[in-house]
Amino acid sequence: MTEPILAEGLVRKFGDLVAVDGIDLCVAQGEVFGFLGPNGAGKSTTVRMLTTLLSPSAGTARVAGYDVVTQAAEVRRVIGVALQDAAIDPIMTGRELLKLQAVLHGIPRRISRERGDELLSRVGLSAAADRRVGTYSGGMRRRLDLALALIHEPRVLFLDEPTTGLDPTSRMALWEEVRRLNGEFGTTVLLTTQYLEEADQLAGRIAIIDGGRIVRQGEPEALKDAVGSPTLRVDVDPDHLTRAAEVLQKFGEIRPARSGRLAIGLEGGAARLAEVVRALDAAGVVLNHMELDAPSLDDVFAEATGRRLEGAEEPPAPVEVGG
Amino acid sequence: MTAAAHPRPSAVAQAVAIAGRSVKGVLRQPPQWVPSLVFPLFFNAVSAAAFDRTRALPGFPEVNSFLTFLLPATILQGVLLGATAAGNDAAVDIENGFFDRLVLSPMSRVSLLGGRLVGSMALGVVQVVFFLAVLSVFGARLENPVAGILVLVVVGALLAGAVGAFSVSIALRTGSVEAVNGFFPIFFAALFMSSAFFPPSLSGGWFETVASVNPITWIVDGLREVIIEGWVPGAAAKAVAVSLALGILAIFMATRSLAARIRT
Ligand SMILES: Nc1ncnc2c1ncn2[C@@H]1O[C@H](COP(=O)(O)OP(=O)(O)OP(=O)(O)O)[C@@H](O)[C@H]1O
Ligand SMILES: [Mg+2]
Repeated sequence: MTEPILAEGLVRKFGDLVAVDGIDLCVAQGEVFGFLGPNGAGKSTTVRMLTTLLSPSAGTARVAGYDVVTQAAEVRRVIGVALQDAAIDPIMTGRELLKLQAVLHGIPRRISRERGDELLSRVGLSAAADRRVGTYSGGMRRRLDLALALIHEPRVLFLDEPTTGLDPTSRMALWEEVRRLNGEFGTTVLLTTQYLEEADQLAGRIAIIDGGRIVRQGEPEALKDAVGSPTLRVDVDPDHLTRAAEVLQKFGEIRPARSGRLAIGLEGGAARLAEVVRALDAAGVVLNHMELDAPSLDDVFAEATGRRLEGAEEPPAPVEVGG
Repeated sequence: MTAAAHPRPSAVAQAVAIAGRSVKGVLRQPPQWVPSLVFPLFFNAVSAAAFDRTRALPGFPEVNSFLTFLLPATILQGVLLGATAAGNDAAVDIENGFFDRLVLSPMSRVSLLGGRLVGSMALGVVQVVFFLAVLSVFGARLENPVAGILVLVVVGALLAGAVGAFSVSIALRTGSVEAVNGFFPIFFAALFMSSAFFPPSLSGGWFETVASVNPITWIVDGLREVIIEGWVPGAAAKAVAVSLALGILAIFMATRSLAARIRT
Protein backbone atom coordinates (compact mmCIF):
# COMPACT_ATOMS: atom_id res chain seq x y z
CA MET A 1 0.00 0.00 0.00
CA THR A 2 1.35 3.42 -0.93
CA GLU A 3 1.77 6.04 1.76
CA PRO A 4 -1.13 8.55 1.84
CA ILE A 5 1.28 11.50 2.01
CA LEU A 6 4.83 11.41 0.81
CA ALA A 7 6.94 14.50 0.16
CA GLU A 8 10.58 14.80 -0.79
CA GLY A 9 12.59 18.00 -0.74
CA LEU A 10 9.51 20.18 -1.09
CA VAL A 11 10.42 23.84 -1.68
CA ARG A 12 8.26 26.86 -2.37
CA LYS A 13 9.60 30.33 -3.06
CA PHE A 14 7.67 33.56 -3.38
CA GLY A 15 10.11 35.84 -5.16
CA ASP A 16 13.13 35.95 -2.90
CA LEU A 17 11.30 34.58 0.09
CA VAL A 18 11.70 30.86 0.72
CA ALA A 19 8.45 29.98 2.46
CA VAL A 20 9.06 26.22 2.48
CA ASP A 21 12.67 25.17 2.43
CA GLY A 22 13.05 21.49 1.69
CA ILE A 23 10.46 19.41 3.52
CA ASP A 24 10.49 15.61 3.65
CA LEU A 25 7.34 14.02 4.94
CA CYS A 26 5.99 10.52 5.20
CA VAL A 27 2.54 10.03 6.71
CA ALA A 28 1.31 6.46 7.10
CA GLN A 29 -2.16 5.07 6.43
CA GLY A 30 -4.55 5.87 9.27
CA GLU A 31 -2.26 8.32 10.98
CA VAL A 32 -3.19 11.70 12.46
CA PHE A 33 -0.18 13.82 11.69
CA GLY A 34 0.30 17.24 13.29
CA PHE A 35 2.17 20.12 11.74
CA LEU A 36 3.13 22.48 14.54
CA GLY A 37 4.69 25.87 13.98
CA PRO A 38 4.43 29.61 14.61
CA ASN A 39 2.99 32.24 12.24
CA GLY A 40 4.76 32.30 8.92
CA ALA A 41 6.47 28.95 9.47
CA GLY A 42 5.23 27.62 6.13
CA LYS A 43 2.38 25.38 7.29
CA SER A 44 -0.27 26.72 4.94
CA THR A 45 2.15 26.88 2.04
CA THR A 46 2.96 23.20 2.55
CA VAL A 47 -0.73 22.29 2.76
CA ARG A 48 -1.47 24.27 -0.41
CA MET A 49 1.23 22.37 -2.27
CA LEU A 50 0.04 18.98 -1.01
CA THR A 51 -3.53 19.82 -2.02
CA THR A 52 -2.57 20.91 -5.58
CA LEU A 53 -3.40 24.60 -5.03
CA LEU A 54 0.22 25.72 -5.33
CA SER A 55 2.92 24.17 -7.44
CA PRO A 56 6.22 23.42 -5.70
CA SER A 57 9.34 25.35 -6.74
CA ALA A 58 11.32 22.16 -6.22
CA GLY A 59 10.84 18.65 -4.88
CA THR A 60 8.00 16.20 -5.32
CA ALA A 61 4.96 15.08 -3.38
CA ARG A 62 2.53 12.22 -3.76
CA VAL A 63 -0.87 12.06 -2.09
CA ALA A 64 -2.70 8.72 -2.09
CA GLY A 65 -0.08 7.59 -4.56
CA TYR A 66 -0.75 10.39 -7.07
CA ASP A 67 1.73 13.10 -7.96
CA VAL A 68 0.38 16.48 -6.86
CA VAL A 69 1.63 18.20 -10.01
CA THR A 70 1.13 15.72 -12.83
CA GLN A 71 -1.92 13.93 -11.38
CA ALA A 72 -3.61 16.84 -9.65
CA ALA A 73 -7.09 15.81 -10.81
CA GLU A 74 -6.75 12.36 -9.22
CA VAL A 75 -5.46 13.88 -6.01
CA ARG A 76 -8.48 16.18 -5.81
CA ARG A 77 -10.90 13.28 -6.03
CA VAL A 78 -9.61 11.57 -2.90
CA ILE A 79 -8.70 14.44 -0.58
CA GLY A 80 -10.81 16.61 1.67
CA VAL A 81 -9.51 20.05 2.52
CA ALA A 82 -10.48 22.73 5.03
CA LEU A 83 -8.22 25.69 4.42
CA GLN A 84 -7.15 28.17 7.05
CA ASP A 85 -9.70 30.76 5.93
CA ALA A 86 -13.06 29.05 5.63
CA ALA A 87 -13.70 28.93 1.89
CA ILE A 88 -17.40 29.57 1.59
CA ASP A 89 -19.81 31.70 -0.36
CA PRO A 90 -21.84 34.04 1.88
CA ILE A 91 -24.75 34.34 -0.57
CA MET A 92 -25.67 30.65 -0.42
CA THR A 93 -27.16 28.67 2.46
CA GLY A 94 -25.21 25.93 4.21
CA ARG A 95 -27.35 23.22 2.68
CA GLU A 96 -26.99 24.67 -0.83
CA LEU A 97 -23.23 24.71 -0.53
CA LEU A 98 -23.18 21.08 0.60
CA LYS A 99 -25.39 20.15 -2.33
CA LEU A 100 -23.17 22.02 -4.79
CA GLN A 101 -20.10 20.33 -3.35
CA ALA A 102 -21.79 16.93 -3.72
CA VAL A 103 -22.60 17.57 -7.39
CA LEU A 104 -19.05 18.72 -8.09
CA HIS A 105 -17.85 15.42 -6.64
CA GLY A 106 -20.37 13.41 -8.65
CA ILE A 107 -22.25 12.04 -5.64
CA PRO A 108 -25.73 10.78 -6.54
CA ARG A 109 -28.49 13.03 -5.19
CA ARG A 110 -30.09 10.37 -2.98
CA ILE A 111 -26.84 9.69 -1.17
CA SER A 112 -25.80 13.32 -0.99
CA ARG A 113 -29.02 14.45 0.67
CA GLU A 114 -28.74 11.83 3.40
CA ARG A 115 -25.06 12.42 3.95
CA GLY A 116 -25.51 16.19 3.89
CA ASP A 117 -28.14 16.03 6.64
CA GLU A 118 -25.96 13.76 8.72
CA LEU A 119 -22.93 16.03 8.35
CA LEU A 120 -24.95 19.14 9.18
CA SER A 121 -26.18 17.57 12.39
CA ARG A 122 -22.72 16.28 13.25
CA VAL A 123 -21.19 19.76 12.99
CA GLY A 124 -24.18 21.24 14.84
CA LEU A 125 -25.60 23.23 11.94
CA SER A 126 -28.95 21.50 11.34
CA ALA A 127 -30.90 24.49 12.62
CA ALA A 128 -28.88 26.99 10.58
CA ALA A 129 -28.70 24.89 7.40
CA ASP A 130 -31.19 27.00 5.45
CA ARG A 131 -29.77 30.33 6.47
CA ARG A 132 -27.34 32.20 4.25
CA VAL A 133 -23.76 31.58 5.25
CA GLY A 134 -23.20 35.35 5.42
CA THR A 135 -25.18 35.33 8.67
CA TYR A 136 -23.01 32.59 10.27
CA SER A 137 -20.53 33.31 13.04
CA GLY A 138 -16.85 32.60 12.46
CA GLY A 139 -17.06 29.29 14.30
CA MET A 140 -20.13 28.20 12.33
CA ARG A 141 -18.32 28.96 9.06
CA ARG A 142 -15.40 26.78 10.10
CA ARG A 143 -17.72 23.94 11.00
CA LEU A 144 -19.53 24.24 7.67
CA ASP A 145 -16.18 24.28 5.94
CA LEU A 146 -15.32 21.01 7.66
CA ALA A 147 -18.63 19.48 6.54
CA LEU A 148 -17.86 20.58 2.95
CA ALA A 149 -14.48 18.90 3.20
CA LEU A 150 -16.12 15.62 4.26
CA ILE A 151 -19.10 15.27 1.90
CA HIS A 152 -17.26 12.92 -0.47
CA GLU A 153 -15.75 10.78 2.32
CA PRO A 154 -12.14 11.62 1.54
CA ARG A 155 -9.36 9.14 2.17
CA VAL A 156 -6.93 11.84 3.17
CA LEU A 157 -8.06 14.91 5.09
CA PHE A 158 -6.11 18.17 5.29
CA LEU A 159 -7.09 20.62 8.02
CA ASP A 160 -5.22 23.91 8.13
CA GLU A 161 -5.53 25.36 11.65
CA PRO A 162 -9.00 23.88 12.07
CA THR A 163 -9.56 25.20 15.58
CA THR A 164 -8.12 28.69 15.36
CA GLY A 165 -10.91 31.03 16.40
CA LEU A 166 -13.14 28.31 17.85
CA ASP A 167 -14.43 28.46 21.40
CA PRO A 168 -13.31 25.65 23.74
CA THR A 169 -16.51 23.63 23.29
CA SER A 170 -16.32 23.74 19.50
CA ARG A 171 -12.65 22.91 19.67
CA MET A 172 -13.33 19.78 21.72
CA ALA A 173 -16.14 18.81 19.33
CA LEU A 174 -13.78 19.14 16.38
CA TRP A 175 -11.15 17.01 18.11
CA GLU A 176 -13.82 14.37 18.71
CA GLU A 177 -14.83 14.47 15.07
CA VAL A 178 -11.24 14.04 13.90
CA ARG A 179 -10.77 11.11 16.27
CA ARG A 180 -14.01 9.54 15.08
CA LEU A 181 -13.14 9.86 11.38
CA ASN A 182 -9.74 8.44 12.07
CA GLY A 183 -10.98 5.66 14.34
CA GLU A 184 -14.09 4.55 12.44
CA PHE A 185 -12.99 5.02 8.86
CA GLY A 186 -9.23 5.04 9.13
CA THR A 187 -9.09 8.44 7.44
CA THR A 188 -5.56 9.76 7.31
CA VAL A 189 -5.42 13.30 8.67
CA LEU A 190 -2.80 15.99 8.32
CA LEU A 191 -3.59 18.99 10.47
CA THR A 192 -1.65 22.14 11.14
CA THR A 193 -1.82 24.02 14.36
CA GLN A 194 -0.16 26.68 16.47
CA TYR A 195 -1.51 25.07 19.62
CA LEU A 196 0.80 22.79 21.55
CA GLU A 197 -2.05 21.07 23.31
CA GLU A 198 -3.80 20.29 20.04
CA ALA A 199 -0.72 18.70 18.55
CA ASP A 200 -0.13 16.80 21.78
CA GLN A 201 -3.70 15.53 22.21
CA LEU A 202 -4.72 14.81 18.67
CA ALA A 203 -1.67 13.82 16.68
CA GLY A 204 0.01 10.46 16.82
CA ARG A 205 3.09 11.98 15.27
CA ILE A 206 4.09 15.59 14.77
CA ALA A 207 6.53 17.67 12.80
CA ILE A 208 7.68 20.96 14.24
CA ILE A 209 8.17 23.46 11.45
CA ASP A 210 9.99 26.75 11.69
CA GLY A 211 11.27 29.02 8.96
CA GLY A 212 10.13 26.58 6.29
CA ARG A 213 12.06 23.61 7.69
CA ILE A 214 11.09 20.66 9.82
CA VAL A 215 13.21 20.99 12.94
CA ARG A 216 11.88 17.99 14.90
CA GLN A 217 9.71 15.06 13.94
CA GLY A 218 8.32 12.14 15.90
CA GLU A 219 5.78 11.05 18.50
CA PRO A 220 5.01 13.82 20.99
CA GLU A 221 6.02 11.65 23.97
CA ALA A 222 9.33 10.68 22.43
CA LEU A 223 10.13 14.29 21.54
CA LYS A 224 9.35 15.44 25.06
CA ASP A 225 11.38 12.63 26.61
CA ALA A 226 14.34 13.70 24.54
CA VAL A 227 14.28 17.10 26.21
CA GLY A 228 14.97 15.43 29.57
CA SER A 229 14.70 17.73 32.54
CA PRO A 230 11.54 19.65 33.48
CA THR A 231 11.42 23.40 32.96
CA LEU A 232 11.51 25.73 35.94
CA ARG A 233 10.08 29.17 35.21
CA VAL A 234 10.70 32.01 37.58
CA ASP A 235 9.35 35.57 37.74
CA VAL A 236 11.44 37.91 39.84
CA ASP A 237 11.63 41.58 40.56
CA PRO A 238 12.98 43.20 37.35
CA ASP A 239 15.99 44.60 39.26
CA HIS A 240 16.99 41.12 40.38
CA LEU A 241 16.99 39.42 36.96
CA THR A 242 20.76 39.22 36.51
CA ARG A 243 21.41 38.08 40.04
CA ALA A 244 18.68 35.43 39.77
CA ALA A 245 20.10 34.18 36.49
CA GLU A 246 23.51 33.72 38.09
CA VAL A 247 22.00 31.62 40.86
CA LEU A 248 19.72 29.61 38.59
CA GLN A 249 22.32 28.54 36.07
CA LYS A 250 23.98 26.45 38.79
CA PHE A 251 20.88 24.21 38.74
CA GLY A 252 20.62 23.59 34.99
CA GLU A 253 21.01 25.11 31.54
CA ILE A 254 19.16 28.33 30.78
CA ARG A 255 16.20 27.86 28.43
CA PRO A 256 14.43 30.44 26.29
CA ALA A 257 11.76 32.34 28.20
CA ARG A 258 9.43 35.23 27.70
CA SER A 259 11.00 38.60 28.47
CA GLY A 260 11.00 39.45 32.16
CA ARG A 261 11.13 35.77 33.05
CA LEU A 262 13.79 33.17 33.51
CA ALA A 263 13.69 29.49 32.68
CA ILE A 264 16.06 26.60 33.24
CA GLY A 265 16.02 22.89 32.69
CA LEU A 266 16.02 21.80 36.32
CA GLU A 267 18.41 18.91 36.65
CA GLY A 268 17.25 16.46 39.24
CA GLY A 269 13.66 17.63 38.92
CA ALA A 270 11.21 18.59 41.68
CA ALA A 271 13.43 17.19 44.43
CA ARG A 272 15.71 20.18 44.10
CA LEU A 273 13.03 22.89 44.24
CA ALA A 274 13.58 23.69 47.90
CA GLU A 275 17.28 24.06 47.27
CA VAL A 276 16.61 26.55 44.44
CA VAL A 277 14.32 28.65 46.61
CA ARG A 278 16.88 28.75 49.46
CA ALA A 279 19.67 29.75 47.07
CA LEU A 280 17.58 32.58 45.56
CA ASP A 281 16.61 33.76 49.02
CA ALA A 282 20.21 33.73 50.16
CA ALA A 283 21.11 35.90 47.16
CA GLY A 284 18.40 38.40 48.19
CA VAL A 285 16.20 37.77 45.12
CA VAL A 286 12.49 38.57 45.57
CA LEU A 287 10.41 35.82 43.98
CA ASN A 288 7.05 36.72 42.40
CA HIS A 289 6.10 33.48 40.78
CA MET A 290 7.56 30.06 40.21
CA GLU A 291 6.42 27.00 38.30
CA LEU A 292 7.81 23.64 37.36
CA ASP A 293 6.51 21.83 34.30
CA ALA A 294 7.26 18.41 32.90
CA PRO A 295 8.88 18.78 29.45
CA SER A 296 6.28 20.03 26.97
CA LEU A 297 6.22 20.40 23.22
CA ASP A 298 7.02 24.04 23.87
CA ASP A 299 10.27 22.91 25.42
CA VAL A 300 10.90 20.76 22.38
CA PHE A 301 10.25 23.78 20.18
CA ALA A 302 12.45 26.00 22.36
CA GLU A 303 15.25 23.51 22.33
CA ALA A 304 15.08 23.23 18.53
CA THR A 305 14.70 26.90 17.69
CA GLY A 306 15.86 28.93 20.68
CA ARG A 307 12.42 30.56 20.90
CA ARG A 308 9.15 29.90 22.71
CA LEU A 309 5.98 29.08 20.82
CA GLU A 310 3.61 29.43 23.72
CA GLY A 311 2.21 32.93 24.09
CA ALA A 312 4.28 34.09 21.16
CA GLU A 313 1.55 36.50 20.10
CA GLU A 314 0.44 37.52 23.58
CA PRO A 315 1.88 40.53 25.34
CA PRO A 316 3.97 39.60 28.41
CA ALA A 317 1.66 38.79 31.31
CA PRO A 318 1.59 41.22 34.22
CA VAL A 319 3.69 40.01 37.12
CA GLU A 320 1.54 38.32 39.73
CA VAL A 321 2.45 37.54 43.28
CA GLY A 322 2.14 34.00 44.58
CA GLY A 323 1.17 31.14 42.36
CA MET B 1 -13.62 5.71 3.77
CA THR B 2 -10.90 3.74 2.12
CA ALA B 3 -13.51 2.62 -0.38
CA ALA B 4 -13.11 3.61 -4.00
CA ALA B 5 -13.94 7.20 -4.87
CA HIS B 6 -17.29 8.03 -6.41
CA PRO B 7 -17.80 7.60 -10.14
CA ARG B 8 -16.16 10.31 -12.21
CA PRO B 9 -18.43 13.36 -11.91
CA SER B 10 -20.23 14.54 -15.04
CA ALA B 11 -18.92 17.81 -16.48
CA VAL B 12 -22.41 18.78 -17.63
CA ALA B 13 -23.92 18.32 -14.17
CA GLN B 14 -21.06 20.37 -12.73
CA ALA B 15 -21.56 23.17 -15.26
CA VAL B 16 -25.31 23.24 -14.60
CA ALA B 17 -24.67 23.43 -10.85
CA ILE B 18 -22.22 26.30 -11.32
CA ALA B 19 -24.58 28.12 -13.68
CA GLY B 20 -27.42 27.69 -11.20
CA ARG B 21 -25.31 29.09 -8.43
CA SER B 22 -24.32 32.10 -10.59
CA VAL B 23 -27.92 32.91 -11.41
CA LYS B 24 -29.03 32.46 -7.80
CA GLY B 25 -26.13 34.59 -6.61
CA VAL B 26 -27.07 37.42 -8.95
CA LEU B 27 -30.79 37.25 -8.16
CA ARG B 28 -30.12 37.34 -4.42
CA GLN B 29 -28.18 40.56 -4.79
CA PRO B 30 -30.64 43.04 -6.30
CA PRO B 31 -27.92 45.72 -6.70
CA GLN B 32 -26.43 43.37 -9.29
CA TRP B 33 -29.44 43.24 -11.57
CA VAL B 34 -31.90 46.03 -10.78
CA PRO B 35 -29.69 48.77 -12.29
CA SER B 36 -29.11 46.68 -15.41
CA LEU B 37 -32.87 46.71 -16.05
CA VAL B 38 -33.78 50.17 -14.81
CA PHE B 39 -30.82 52.28 -15.90
CA PRO B 40 -31.01 51.59 -19.66
CA LEU B 41 -34.75 52.24 -19.66
CA PHE B 42 -34.37 55.49 -17.79
CA PHE B 43 -31.49 56.62 -19.94
CA ASN B 44 -33.37 55.85 -23.11
CA ALA B 45 -36.55 57.52 -21.99
CA VAL B 46 -34.51 60.67 -21.47
CA SER B 47 -32.72 60.40 -24.83
CA ALA B 48 -35.94 59.65 -26.63
CA ALA B 49 -37.53 62.77 -25.22
CA ALA B 50 -34.50 64.93 -25.92
CA PHE B 51 -33.58 63.71 -29.36
CA ASP B 52 -36.86 62.62 -30.87
CA ARG B 53 -36.74 65.57 -33.29
CA THR B 54 -33.40 64.42 -34.71
CA ARG B 55 -35.39 61.75 -36.52
CA ALA B 56 -36.38 64.49 -38.94
CA LEU B 57 -32.75 65.05 -39.96
CA PRO B 58 -31.93 63.88 -43.46
CA GLY B 59 -29.97 60.61 -43.29
CA PHE B 60 -31.62 59.45 -40.07
CA PRO B 61 -33.07 55.96 -40.46
CA GLU B 62 -36.82 55.84 -41.07
CA VAL B 63 -38.26 54.68 -37.77
CA ASN B 64 -41.70 54.99 -36.23
CA SER B 65 -40.25 56.04 -32.87
CA PHE B 66 -36.91 57.00 -31.40
CA LEU B 67 -37.32 54.02 -29.06
CA THR B 68 -37.18 51.67 -32.03
CA PHE B 69 -33.93 53.31 -33.05
CA LEU B 70 -32.61 52.93 -29.50
CA LEU B 71 -33.67 49.31 -29.04
CA PRO B 72 -30.21 47.86 -29.80
CA ALA B 73 -28.57 50.45 -27.52
CA THR B 74 -30.94 49.61 -24.68
CA ILE B 75 -30.23 45.92 -24.96
CA LEU B 76 -26.47 46.38 -25.22
CA GLN B 77 -26.45 48.71 -22.24
CA GLY B 78 -28.39 46.22 -20.15
CA VAL B 79 -26.15 43.35 -21.15
CA LEU B 80 -22.99 45.35 -20.38
CA LEU B 81 -24.31 46.27 -16.97
CA GLY B 82 -25.66 42.81 -16.21
CA ALA B 83 -22.89 40.57 -17.47
CA THR B 84 -20.10 42.27 -15.54
CA ALA B 85 -21.80 40.66 -12.52
CA ALA B 86 -20.08 37.42 -13.60
CA GLY B 87 -16.66 39.00 -13.22
CA ASN B 88 -17.70 40.67 -10.03
CA ASP B 89 -18.82 37.34 -8.56
CA ALA B 90 -15.65 35.60 -9.70
CA ALA B 91 -13.53 38.27 -8.01
CA VAL B 92 -15.57 37.99 -4.80
CA ASP B 93 -15.07 34.21 -4.88
CA ILE B 94 -11.33 34.67 -5.19
CA GLU B 95 -11.26 37.25 -2.40
CA ASN B 96 -13.25 35.16 0.06
CA GLY B 97 -11.54 31.87 -0.78
CA PHE B 98 -14.52 30.05 -2.29
CA PHE B 99 -12.66 29.89 -5.57
CA ASP B 100 -10.08 27.63 -3.84
CA ARG B 101 -12.89 25.33 -2.78
CA LEU B 102 -14.11 25.13 -6.41
CA VAL B 103 -10.62 24.48 -7.72
CA LEU B 104 -10.13 21.80 -5.05
CA SER B 105 -13.10 19.84 -6.28
CA PRO B 106 -12.56 17.43 -9.15
CA MET B 107 -14.20 19.87 -11.52
CA SER B 108 -13.29 20.20 -15.14
CA ARG B 109 -11.95 23.64 -16.05
CA VAL B 110 -14.59 23.78 -18.77
CA SER B 111 -17.38 23.51 -16.21
CA LEU B 112 -15.76 26.06 -13.94
CA LEU B 113 -15.74 28.69 -16.68
CA GLY B 114 -18.61 27.45 -18.83
CA GLY B 115 -21.03 27.26 -15.92
CA ARG B 116 -20.54 30.92 -15.11
CA LEU B 117 -20.92 31.98 -18.74
CA VAL B 118 -24.08 29.96 -19.20
CA GLY B 119 -25.39 31.77 -16.14
CA SER B 120 -24.53 35.15 -17.70
CA MET B 121 -26.12 34.19 -21.00
CA ALA B 122 -29.32 33.07 -19.31
CA LEU B 123 -29.56 36.44 -17.58
CA GLY B 124 -28.82 38.16 -20.89
CA VAL B 125 -31.78 36.44 -22.51
CA VAL B 126 -34.05 37.50 -19.67
CA GLN B 127 -32.90 41.09 -20.15
CA VAL B 128 -33.56 41.07 -23.88
CA VAL B 129 -37.07 39.77 -23.35
CA PHE B 130 -37.70 42.34 -20.62
CA PHE B 131 -36.53 45.29 -22.73
CA LEU B 132 -38.48 44.14 -25.76
CA ALA B 133 -41.62 43.83 -23.70
CA VAL B 134 -41.30 47.22 -22.00
CA LEU B 135 -40.21 49.20 -25.06
CA SER B 136 -42.89 47.71 -27.27
CA VAL B 137 -45.49 48.92 -24.80
CA PHE B 138 -44.10 52.43 -25.33
CA GLY B 139 -44.12 52.20 -29.10
CA ALA B 140 -40.96 50.43 -30.27
CA ARG B 141 -41.76 48.14 -33.17
CA LEU B 142 -40.18 45.15 -34.88
CA GLU B 143 -40.88 44.93 -38.60
CA ASN B 144 -40.74 41.13 -38.41
CA PRO B 145 -41.32 40.15 -34.78
CA VAL B 146 -40.20 36.53 -35.12
CA ALA B 147 -36.94 37.35 -36.87
CA GLY B 148 -36.38 40.38 -34.65
CA ILE B 149 -36.87 38.56 -31.36
CA LEU B 150 -34.77 35.61 -32.52
CA VAL B 151 -31.82 37.73 -33.61
CA LEU B 152 -31.99 40.02 -30.56
CA VAL B 153 -32.11 37.07 -28.18
CA VAL B 154 -29.22 35.29 -29.86
CA VAL B 155 -27.06 38.42 -29.99
CA GLY B 156 -28.03 39.36 -26.43
CA ALA B 157 -26.98 35.92 -25.17
CA LEU B 158 -23.72 35.93 -27.14
CA LEU B 159 -22.80 39.40 -25.96
CA ALA B 160 -23.69 38.57 -22.37
CA GLY B 161 -21.35 35.58 -22.69
CA ALA B 162 -18.64 37.75 -24.22
CA VAL B 163 -18.86 40.52 -21.61
CA GLY B 164 -19.14 37.89 -18.87
CA ALA B 165 -16.04 36.07 -20.11
CA PHE B 166 -14.11 39.29 -20.45
CA SER B 167 -14.98 40.44 -16.93
CA VAL B 168 -14.25 36.96 -15.51
CA SER B 169 -10.90 37.09 -17.27
CA ILE B 170 -10.06 40.36 -15.50
CA ALA B 171 -11.21 38.86 -12.21
CA LEU B 172 -8.97 35.82 -12.68
CA ARG B 173 -5.97 37.96 -13.60
CA THR B 174 -6.32 40.44 -10.77
CA GLY B 175 -8.42 38.69 -8.11
CA SER B 176 -9.87 42.08 -7.32
CA VAL B 177 -13.44 43.37 -7.40
CA GLU B 178 -12.16 46.92 -7.86
CA ALA B 179 -10.27 45.94 -11.01
CA VAL B 180 -13.38 44.37 -12.52
CA ASN B 181 -15.46 47.44 -11.78
CA GLY B 182 -12.63 49.64 -13.03
CA PHE B 183 -13.01 48.14 -16.49
CA PHE B 184 -16.66 48.90 -16.66
CA PRO B 185 -16.34 52.50 -17.98
CA ILE B 186 -14.27 51.14 -20.87
CA PHE B 187 -17.16 48.97 -22.01
CA PHE B 188 -19.43 51.94 -21.73
CA ALA B 189 -17.14 54.27 -23.63
CA ALA B 190 -17.05 51.67 -26.41
CA LEU B 191 -20.84 51.72 -26.53
CA PHE B 192 -20.94 55.53 -26.79
CA MET B 193 -18.28 55.54 -29.51
CA SER B 194 -20.58 53.51 -31.72
CA SER B 195 -23.73 54.02 -33.73
CA ALA B 196 -25.83 52.95 -30.73
CA PHE B 197 -27.18 56.38 -29.78
CA PHE B 198 -26.75 58.49 -32.91
CA PRO B 199 -26.03 57.76 -36.56
CA PRO B 200 -22.27 58.50 -36.97
CA SER B 201 -22.80 59.65 -40.54
CA LEU B 202 -24.79 62.61 -39.25
CA SER B 203 -21.99 63.77 -36.99
CA GLY B 204 -19.02 63.13 -39.29
CA GLY B 205 -15.41 63.89 -38.28
CA TRP B 206 -13.46 61.74 -35.88
CA PHE B 207 -16.59 60.28 -34.30
CA GLU B 208 -17.61 58.76 -37.60
CA THR B 209 -14.10 57.30 -38.05
CA VAL B 210 -13.96 55.77 -34.58
CA ALA B 211 -17.49 54.43 -34.76
CA SER B 212 -16.89 52.83 -38.14
CA VAL B 213 -14.11 50.61 -36.77
CA ASN B 214 -15.92 49.84 -33.50
CA PRO B 215 -17.30 46.27 -33.54
CA ILE B 216 -20.25 47.46 -31.50
CA THR B 217 -21.29 49.64 -34.46
CA TRP B 218 -21.30 46.56 -36.67
CA ILE B 219 -23.50 44.72 -34.20
CA VAL B 220 -25.85 47.69 -33.70
CA ASP B 221 -26.19 48.31 -37.44
CA GLY B 222 -26.98 44.68 -38.09
CA LEU B 223 -29.58 44.60 -35.33
CA ARG B 224 -31.13 47.87 -36.42
CA GLU B 225 -31.54 46.65 -39.96
CA VAL B 226 -33.32 43.54 -38.73
CA ILE B 227 -35.52 45.64 -36.45
CA ILE B 228 -36.46 48.18 -39.12
CA GLU B 229 -36.40 46.16 -42.31
CA GLY B 230 -37.41 42.72 -41.07
CA TRP B 231 -35.63 39.52 -42.00
CA VAL B 232 -32.39 40.61 -43.70
CA PRO B 233 -30.09 37.56 -43.62
CA GLY B 234 -26.91 39.55 -44.26
CA ALA B 235 -27.61 41.99 -41.43
CA ALA B 236 -28.59 39.24 -39.01
CA ALA B 237 -25.47 37.29 -39.90
CA LYS B 238 -23.30 40.36 -39.37
CA ALA B 239 -24.66 41.02 -35.85
CA VAL B 240 -24.43 37.37 -34.85
CA ALA B 241 -20.99 36.80 -36.36
CA VAL B 242 -19.43 39.86 -34.72
CA SER B 243 -20.94 38.95 -31.33
CA LEU B 244 -19.75 35.39 -31.72
CA ALA B 245 -16.25 36.54 -32.62
CA LEU B 246 -16.13 38.79 -29.55
CA GLY B 247 -17.38 35.87 -27.46
CA ILE B 248 -14.72 33.51 -28.77
CA LEU B 249 -12.00 36.08 -28.19
CA ALA B 250 -13.21 36.72 -24.62
CA ILE B 251 -13.47 33.01 -23.83
CA PHE B 252 -9.96 32.48 -25.15
CA MET B 253 -8.73 35.24 -22.82
CA ALA B 254 -10.67 33.83 -19.88
CA THR B 255 -9.27 30.34 -20.46
CA ARG B 256 -5.74 31.70 -20.46
CA SER B 257 -6.41 33.70 -17.32
CA LEU B 258 -7.86 30.64 -15.59
CA ALA B 259 -4.81 28.56 -16.45
CA ALA B 260 -2.55 31.32 -15.15
CA ARG B 261 -4.44 31.55 -11.87
CA ILE B 262 -4.59 27.82 -11.24
CA ARG B 263 -0.95 27.13 -12.05
CA THR B 264 0.61 29.45 -9.48
N1 LIG C 1 1.02 34.07 -1.90
C1 LIG C 1 2.10 34.48 -1.20
N2 LIG C 1 2.90 35.45 -1.70
C2 LIG C 1 3.98 35.86 -1.02
N3 LIG C 1 4.36 35.37 0.16
C3 LIG C 1 3.62 34.40 0.71
C4 LIG C 1 2.45 33.91 0.06
N4 LIG C 1 1.91 32.95 0.84
C5 LIG C 1 2.69 32.85 1.92
N5 LIG C 1 3.73 33.72 1.86
C6 LIG C 1 4.80 33.86 2.86
O1 LIG C 1 5.34 32.59 3.12
C7 LIG C 1 5.64 32.44 4.49
C8 LIG C 1 4.95 31.22 5.03
O2 LIG C 1 3.56 31.47 5.04
P1 LIG C 1 2.48 30.40 5.50
O3 LIG C 1 1.17 31.00 5.21
O4 LIG C 1 2.80 29.11 4.86
O5 LIG C 1 2.73 30.32 7.04
P2 LIG C 1 1.88 29.57 8.16
O6 LIG C 1 2.80 28.65 8.85
O7 LIG C 1 0.67 28.98 7.58
O8 LIG C 1 1.51 30.75 9.13
P3 LIG C 1 0.16 31.06 9.95
O9 LIG C 1 0.25 30.33 11.22
O10 LIG C 1 0.21 32.52 10.16
O11 LIG C 1 -0.99 30.65 9.10
C9 LIG C 1 5.24 33.75 5.16
O12 LIG C 1 6.39 34.54 5.30
C10 LIG C 1 4.28 34.36 4.19
O13 LIG C 1 4.35 35.76 4.25
MG1 LIG D 1 -1.29 29.26 7.79
